[in-house]
Amino acid sequence: MIQVMNGFDWRRWRLVLTGGTIIGIILICAIFAPWIAPYSPYDLDVVAMLQPPSAAHPLGTDELGRDILSRIIHAARISMQVAFIAASVGLVFGTLIGVVAAYFGGIVDLVLMRLMELLFSFPAILLAVVLMASLGTSILNAMIAIGIVFIPGFSRLARAATVVVLREQYVESARAIGMGHGRIVFREILPNILAPLLVEAAVAFSYAILLESALSFLGLGAQPPEPSWGNMLNTGRGFMAQAPWLSIVPGAAIFLSVLGFNLIGDGLRDLLDPHMKE
Amino acid sequence: MSRDKIVLDGLSKVFQQRRFFRASDGLVAVSDVSLSVPSGQTLGIVGESGSGKSTLLRMILGLIRPTSGTILIDGQDVARMPRHDEKDFRRKVQPIFQNPASSFNPRQTIGAILRAPLEVHGIGDRHSRRDRVVALLEQVGLPADYAKRHPHQLSGGQKQRVAIARAVILKPSIVLADEPTSALDVSVQAQILDLFRRTREEMGLTSIFVSHNLAVIRQVSDTVAVMRLGRVVEAGRVDDIFSNPQNEYTRALIDAVPDHAAVINRPERIATT
Repeated sequence: MIQVMNGFDWRRWRLVLTGGTIIGIILICAIFAPWIAPYSPYDLDVVAMLQPPSAAHPLGTDELGRDILSRIIHAARISMQVAFIAASVGLVFGTLIGVVAAYFGGIVDLVLMRLMELLFSFPAILLAVVLMASLGTSILNAMIAIGIVFIPGFSRLARAATVVVLREQYVESARAIGMGHGRIVFREILPNILAPLLVEAAVAFSYAILLESALSFLGLGAQPPEPSWGNMLNTGRGFMAQAPWLSIVPGAAIFLSVLGFNLIGDGLRDLLDPHMKE
Repeated sequence: MSRDKIVLDGLSKVFQQRRFFRASDGLVAVSDVSLSVPSGQTLGIVGESGSGKSTLLRMILGLIRPTSGTILIDGQDVARMPRHDEKDFRRKVQPIFQNPASSFNPRQTIGAILRAPLEVHGIGDRHSRRDRVVALLEQVGLPADYAKRHPHQLSGGQKQRVAIARAVILKPSIVLADEPTSALDVSVQAQILDLFRRTREEMGLTSIFVSHNLAVIRQVSDTVAVMRLGRVVEAGRVDDIFSNPQNEYTRALIDAVPDHAAVINRPERIATT
């Protein structure tokens, strides 16, 4: 999709590379968690409760004596899973709805987009909480709920981009050749609206992590003792004065991953912007 | 005299400008147009912007439905064509569009763009398609390795060459050209017109050529129709219309052509790049 350039231009890629490095490290932690983590995330150690960072526990221990570094590394799994699945749900269904609405227009467009506006009118976190309440509390439902929150945004973006592409003569040419709807959508439209959607997906990743953390914080996401950055933050809240590292560490993890995805999103936006091409 | 390949009878198109819950008065783009093109000939349609030229072409292409009237191509009604005839119709009638910048999918290579019609109609296999694309590129005066390029790597004139190649790859009998040279430099225009004429003669095409440029129309057409505000104000053989225009508007159009336009009327061929 992206034009291959002669000579690698570091300056153009620096945002994507920085963000990619951060996310890459987090991904590696998530995938290889059992091998990287020094301890089990579940092992209690009553002798070593609420210990500050030390040689044995680089990021300290929590109120049950569990190693925070190990828990943070394991929690990356859930956060990354949520980010990818939720953003994918939003991307796939949002794009589908947006493209269909723009392509067929008329009453289809009217009905689909009013439905999207209905979803849009709820605050994201409220919608996610309502969906969780009706779907039941589990991490998979959290992913789906967050994904549904993303659908209206993606659908609007996809619809707007499709409307622009439909005015291009190559779509008319495709019709004149006798191309069917499916081929027109997949060959002519999708490749040409992908750039803004990918940028939005990167932003959705970071937002998914925040939403999952918020849901876990409210007790609706990952269930203890399973670690997630959100529920670790929630636990840390009670020990803010005695053991601030309990809150600072998951907070920093959320901050870094959100930063990483946002850098990728910003970088992609600049890279894929046709006006920025040489 | 061969029988008429394209017959338009009382063709009209009214665009309804839909508002929420109410329909406003329509915009009449084409009004009661009756024209015919004998097989192997070229009809030039000339008129100012908004005169309904492009709308007319898109109706003949079957891209939009006429509000009233009929379009007969080889005796078949385009608007009331059964679905299974549509593929045959698509193979028979092909367009060349005006704007070289937007008539190709920017994400595809020229090769993929030219192969698409063959793929859609299931003609040949991978090998024969590639050969056909190369042969066609050659026919329109482009090197074979252009198949690997993307549209933005081509000049406007080169893109119109590709547009002509795409239009004829299905071996159609009718080509409808919507201002194929209006976005080009005058010198490139001459080359593309030359290619258009040559292709038309070699393939025995029937064509309609839309332009706002009288000199261009005069050069490529056998007959000409002058359109204004959706109506045909005058139609006839090119020589008759140009030497002895009957209609006030046609006369005004012809008088408005500056003398130096004759430059692109030069029949000699210019070496292609």
